[in-house]
Amino acid sequence: MSASKVKMRERKLKNQPVSVQYLSSSTQHSGSSGAVGDAGPSDTHTSAEHAKTPQQPGGWVRGHQKDGGGYTREMPSCITAVAFAQARAAEVSAMLKAVTKTTGSCHVFGALPKHMRRRAMSHNTKRLPCRLRDVANRMREKSLQSGSKKKEQAKNKSRKARRRHGNLLLEFNRRQRKNIWLETHIWHAKRFHMVKKWGYCLGDRPTYKCYRPCYRAMSSHCLLQDLSYYCCIELQGEEDKLLLALSQLTSKETGPTFAAISSLSGQRQGSLVVYRAGEYPSQPLGPVTFLWRPRAQGSGHRHLWIWAHPTMKQDLLPELQVVCQCSEAVYPLLLPVGIPAGTTHELQPKPENSSEVEQVTGTKRKRSSEDASVPPAKKILGDGTRSPTTPVTWKSSSTGIVINDLTMEIVRYRLIGPQSHAVLADILEAATECDEKSRAHPSSLWWPEHCRDENKMNLHKQQAEVYQTLKGVSNSGELPPGTVLGLTVDDPRLTLPSKKVKALASVKPAEDVDEEKRRELMLRGVPEHCCQSHLWEKSVRDNVTDHKISEQQLNRMKSEVLVPGSRLTPTPPQGRVPILLVHQPGKQVGREMSSWGAGWDLLLPKGWGMAFWVPLVYRGVRIGGLHMSLKHSQNKGAPHFPHDYPDCPAGVHFQEEQEGEFLDKFKRRPPAKRTNYIKHGCLAPFRCPWQQLAEEWELILGEGEKRRGESQAQNMAPSDTVMEEPMTSQRDVAKPRSRAAVLRNRKSLKLLSGWCRPVTSRGQRACRTAEMPPLDRSGVARFIAAHEMSLVWVRLSLLSKGKPEVHAMVCVPTAEDLQLLGKGPGSSGPQEPPHKDHLRSRTKHKKKAKTSLPSKMDSSEPATSEDLEPSSDSTLGLWPDPLPSVTSHCSRVTLGWVTQGDFSLSAGCGEALGFISVAGLLDTLAKQSMEHRGVVLLRNPASLHYRFAKVNIEV
Amino acid sequence: MMEPRIPGMSIASQSAQVHAESTPVTVEMDPVEYTLRKRLPRKLPKRRNDVYVNMKTDFRAQLARCQKLLEGGGHREICIHGLGLAINRAINIALQLQASSQGVLQLAANTSTVELVDDLEPDDPDEAREPMTRTRNNSAIHIKVFYPDPQ
Repeated sequence: MSASKVKMRERKLKNQPVSVQYLSSSTQHSGSSGAVGDAGPSDTHTSAEHAKTPQQPGGWVRGHQKDGGGYTREMPSCITAVAFAQARAAEVSAMLKAVTKTTGSCHVFGALPKHMRRRAMSHNTKRLPCRLRDVANRMREKSLQSGSKKKEQAKNKSRKARRRHGNLLLEFNRRQRKNIWLETHIWHAKRFHMVKKWGYCLGDRPTYKCYRPCYRAMSSHCLLQDLSYYCCIELQGEEDKLLLALSQLTSKETGPTFAAISSLSGQRQGSLVVYRAGEYPSQPLGPVTFLWRPRAQGSGHRHLWIWAHPTMKQDLLPELQVVCQCSEAVYPLLLPVGIPAGTTHELQPKPENSSEVEQVTGTKRKRSSEDASVPPAKKILGDGTRSPTTPVTWKSSSTGIVINDLTMEIVRYRLIGPQSHAVLADILEAATECDEKSRAHPSSLWWPEHCRDENKMNLHKQQAEVYQTLKGVSNSGELPPGTVLGLTVDDPRLTLPSKKVKALASVKPAEDVDEEKRRELMLRGVPEHCCQSHLWEKSVRDNVTDHKISEQQLNRMKSEVLVPGSRLTPTPPQGRVPILLVHQPGKQVGREMSSWGAGWDLLLPKGWGMAFWVPLVYRGVRIGGLHMSLKHSQNKGAPHFPHDYPDCPAGVHFQEEQEGEFLDKFKRRPPAKRTNYIKHGCLAPFRCPWQQLAEEWELILGEGEKRRGESQAQNMAPSDTVMEEPMTSQRDVAKPRSRAAVLRNRKSLKLLSGWCRPVTSRGQRACRTAEMPPLDRSGVARFIAAHEMSLVWVRLSLLSKGKPEVHAMVCVPTAEDLQLLGKGPGSSGPQEPPHKDHLRSRTKHKKKAKTSLPSKMDSSEPATSEDLEPSSDSTLGLWPDPLPSVTSHCSRVTLGWVTQGDFSLSAGCGEALGFISVAGLLDTLAKQSMEHRGVVLLRNPASLHYRFAKVNIEV
Repeated sequence: MMEPRIPGMSIASQSAQVHAESTPVTVEMDPVEYTLRKRLPRKLPKRRNDVYVNMKTDFRAQLARCQKLLEGGGHREICIHGLGLAINRAINIALQLQASSQGVLQLAANTSTVELVDDLEPDDPDEAREPMTRTRNNSAIHIKVFYPDPQ
């Protein structure tokens, strides 16, 4: 029954007594009162539901039930007279009660027969018959009274009052108690479709149409994203101890680890996939990026920031605590010495943070003096959902490592695109030194203090110089990948242009940039000491956050400038911010479009988000949401977290969520308009049973080996034999199997990637393939033995037309298909013969049987069939669990599925990203001829047409 | 839009010895494998009448773009740039333009050398090596296609 129907029924039965049920067991009790159920209207419905047992169908049910309703019931063999009479009496009284009460609505005209009802009767009582008018008038007054009361309750304040700053702030604070708001939330909420995800409110995509403009921004100008929802975890401790602890989480086989020398010095940002401690290659947690703080002179004490996706944090943090043996939580309130002040201060009233508090509560001074117990409202910075007593710091007495959870402490913006460099050069200016006067006095601000320190000033000058040199570079793809630069900049609001302008690289090369220096920078990267930033220091971060000039103050200062629109001089002493610039290398793998989507990440102390956001927007950048970051990684050919990590807990969770979402969407369509996936031969249109796929391919290969051992001579065309294999018999091989894992071993991936490439006559490639072991049976067997049950991330580019969709199937082409491909580019792929929907025909048969039954209520037929449908546990057009063999279900053997697919604007053809079984891939490759190596078929879930695609494995 | 993407060359895992002779910065060779990643060539600010030729876009489309600039765009001269493999194509485009204009257009070709940067990322298991960069040179051509002055 649909939800609306249930609701309607509930409303109808609101004032009705419960249907009577008289149990023979309850004869001892004074039956009638208990059974008639004078319970209040609130729980009548539930008890009515309970009473609906198959033996005694109670309640109001239209038509007859599927178990035969009242027709086939067995009659009791004997009847106790007293009990029977009591039961009837109860029924009669219930019936009488039901008759006397009006149904559903309490309107008077409910009692009128239909032909006497008139339009707008409730509005104009004169349309009622005379005898009912008085009652109706009384009722109307009553309802009016109650209605007005209700309205008053809802609207306790005028709109003006609600929009007043302080009240608005209170409202905002209330609303972000459940889901964290980013600092740019209000900005986004006005322009984006917001989604609540991972405990945050995030912008998904803009409300205006801008898919292509955003793509163009990424490839030729600049796209901005707020990535502050990424969680930062800080580790502090001795370098060797940290490395030792962290080495348990990683493996060198997957690429550079935390110990890679370039990232260890702090010059480069690193990225890797983290596993559960000592569990490699199974149980990955997900990808992280990390950043080491450059070494201080003569100290082995290091800081490390690990940036992880919020869905991963809950897995990563305990794992880090285990490997670092950090079990002692430092409670912020109990231990005032070790307070991570920044995490708690936003929830406590703070006396020294005068400016902002005054701004906020300025208008309500009187009221706050009236009830002084209520602390003045304050803007929530950082994590508003966390209670102040939640520990954010853990330390270890044995290893001396301290773990700090810096979630929402640092704002992270990502600029993507070649011009992101020009945009940054436009908004950021290296901080000006303070004047002599302020330098003389000790001050609570951090910058004047720093200005007095000679060493720090020297560093700042060097950093400023590097930054100046960087401005001479016009494209973010030319820099060493992952470069880090620490910098202190002036408040960007000071140089805000009055109009939105499009920042472009200056046409004339800046003369003041030394060519030699630029070259040095390109080759060597930023020198190590220049990667240092004061953003690493908690005290400086907090100081900067607390002493930020409010927008209002700044505007007042601006309005007092003599020449309107000119820059504010001198720079107010609060207006210096330590930042970190981290280069993002863009597309690193593959041959085409290298460095596509390169850009910069901008790390800021919290509270400064909007101060940098608005100037960035005024430089004409596009803003992207979650959707665009998915497209960004798709164009880069990189797996996106958590979509493309099916072996991580977050990825598994995401898949389940996605399945539910797709299924809901599917069920929202009328049944006749739904795609029948059974007929399309698509077993799992809404999810990808990776585990089953990997298991089946293992079996297929095992069978193949066995057969080969038996009859070496007759090697038949194996793809055909595979399909004929009885898969059902293999189901009962209940061997405890390992879980399907994604292959991340770089060496093996390189090998696979080489095998996938078609060998052409070009000399260089031939010589390169000669280096690696040839693709023969022994090599394959060795490879599979090393990586059993594994999947591999592939990029599939379509050879002709077609747009792959999510969960499209990747299949093995047969020999005839490949001949079709050889005919020319115009020939499209083969077709899948339509499958037969056995389930559907079965239900149809049932229906027919139903209608042939003698039934007097023909009108209730549709209702019955609708009732029947959800009761059977499957939806029409979808395979019920458990699935039959996924590999051999269609005429082409399935290799894997697509997790992201779209028309790629960068490649100009359909491109899909997904996983395929390693065993299946190798099996396929070994059977394909040289020129067709790596060609597979791709079929969308709702289509019967196969398309040719090329497999690329990019390392 | 220069052409840095010579097919089949951007990634290679190979012992660095192969590159020994072309490396101006003398790197002592070691047995560790490196992954070669090419950075983009230096991008200079571009005027409206600059055309950077690449190997990915269709030849006819690039030719049409140049013709449009010369005829519809109102430019008296355009500059066609080609780097590496695209030199051939740049020359072809220029010659085609000249031929189709019945000899009105004139060409002036300049060659130059562009310094390119490659990153070499070590694949060694003990992670003791720093990533290296090396520079190599590639030829480029800049063809000025222009209508000669009437006098």
